[in-house]
Amino acid sequence: MTGVKVSDDRAGDVRLGRIGKGVRVLVALAGIGLLINGSVQASDDAWPFGPMSQYAGSVADDASITYTRISAQTDAGTTVDVPLNIEGAGVARAEIEARTGEIVADPSKLQAVADGWAKKHPDKPKYVKLELIRDTTTLVKGRVVGPPKSEVLATWQVRR
Amino acid sequence: MKTVANWFTAPIALARIAWLRTILYLFVILDMHAFVRDTRLKGEHPDLYKPLLLERLFHLPTPSVANTTALYYVLLVACLVGATNRFPRIAGWVVAPAFTWWVLIGMSDGKVDHDHLALTVALWVLPTVAPTKAGNPYADQTRSEAAGWVIRCVQISVICTYFLSSIAKLRGAGWTLAWPNSAILTWAIVRRPHPVGEWLLHHPWLLHVMQWVGIIGEFLSPAILWLKGRWQLMGALFFLGFHAANTAILLIHFLPTVVCWLAFAPLERIVPWWRARRTAEAAGAAEEAGAAGAAEATAGSARDAGEAEDEAEDRGQAKEQAGA
Repeated sequence: MTGVKVSDDRAGDVRLGRIGKGVRVLVALAGIGLLINGSVQASDDAWPFGPMSQYAGSVADDASITYTRISAQTDAGTTVDVPLNIEGAGVARAEIEARTGEIVADPSKLQAVADGWAKKHPDKPKYVKLELIRDTTTLVKGRVVGPPKSEVLATWQVRR
Repeated sequence: MKTVANWFTAPIALARIAWLRTILYLFVILDMHAFVRDTRLKGEHPDLYKPLLLERLFHLPTPSVANTTALYYVLLVACLVGATNRFPRIAGWVVAPAFTWWVLIGMSDGKVDHDHLALTVALWVLPTVAPTKAGNPYADQTRSEAAGWVIRCVQISVICTYFLSSIAKLRGAGWTLAWPNSAILTWAIVRRPHPVGEWLLHHPWLLHVMQWVGIIGEFLSPAILWLKGRWQLMGALFFLGFHAANTAILLIHFLPTVVCWLAFAPLERIVPWWRARRTAEAAGAAEEAGAAGAAEATAGSARDAGEAEDEAEDRGQAKEQAGA
């Protein structure tokens, strides 16, 4: 931004009328007000006027960090972690984590994961058994010590 | 009061709006395929749909294969038209609500991303500027207050993305400064493991330094709105570095916000710079030609003169506008 001074008045500038300028300033101030309100008291529901809460939580030095994944036995005899994204099995990890309770109550919901994989990857080994697993890493003084503890939350024998 | 109003509408050359239209409307097409890319998939599985506030407020229909497919093609066409700077207002008024709905559907599964604020605001404010009447829109040096307001709104939204993140971090810790000393990055890396992150897990103090740098930078980010020249560039580079670090550590790129940093860039100087360069090159070519042969030299200087004439014409136009 060298050379031209932006703040200089120039006769050739296209000016706004009083109303045009007033409305624009009010809209901008209202938008800023909504955003501040969102950050102070709203939730993600108010998008785009919600809080910027990505990674805004505080995690204690002795926290237990959980990580939910789905492990699959395939018809090729291998055990793999199901890729939880749109290209993989068609569902995102966030979705699985949000629905963990529902899946534990009704493991047949895992059938959709096997179907999604088979539909997107017809040439790859099919899933025959799925396990919903929660890995828990417990921090000690803010450090990771040792491997996570794994707990099987739900098991589903895939229907063909 | 007047000073405040003038700050919100400081005149900016219309060329910057033309460049932003092209870049942002093309970016929307990229976004629909690379970032918020599951909207049509959500049309196939409406059972997972949990409408957000705006969707409930405006009674937006539940996504279906039909309406998400229509939305996709309407957006595609409107973006392509808008990117050419032809009928930019009509195209822009289609893109703004359509893309907002597209993103709303994409975020209606319980997970909301925070990288689309500036882009969404930019799409809503861009159509408020009347296009260049004649000539090359990318070269239009006419400064307009309406354009200035658009640029200011995008700049404020970019900065808000950072500043309000620091506020959310204070709020998340019960309005205390616990966040920068907490194990949040350790938590994030454990949940999204990858080599760089796993190396960092062995050095928690480094993660704490990053957290302090992050929250202080975010909190001070509004200063960038008042910085000028090189200092503003330094501020912008700090945050681009911040995103590079986030991409390496958290695999989060925030590109929809990053592209909106271009609202701070003097894009209107691209065409004058390019023309000056071409003129200089032509002058160089003319000299070489002069050494090679008189006949060619004549042709070279003729070309040169032609371009100089173009330049003069542009300047004349600018003066005319200055006098208007």
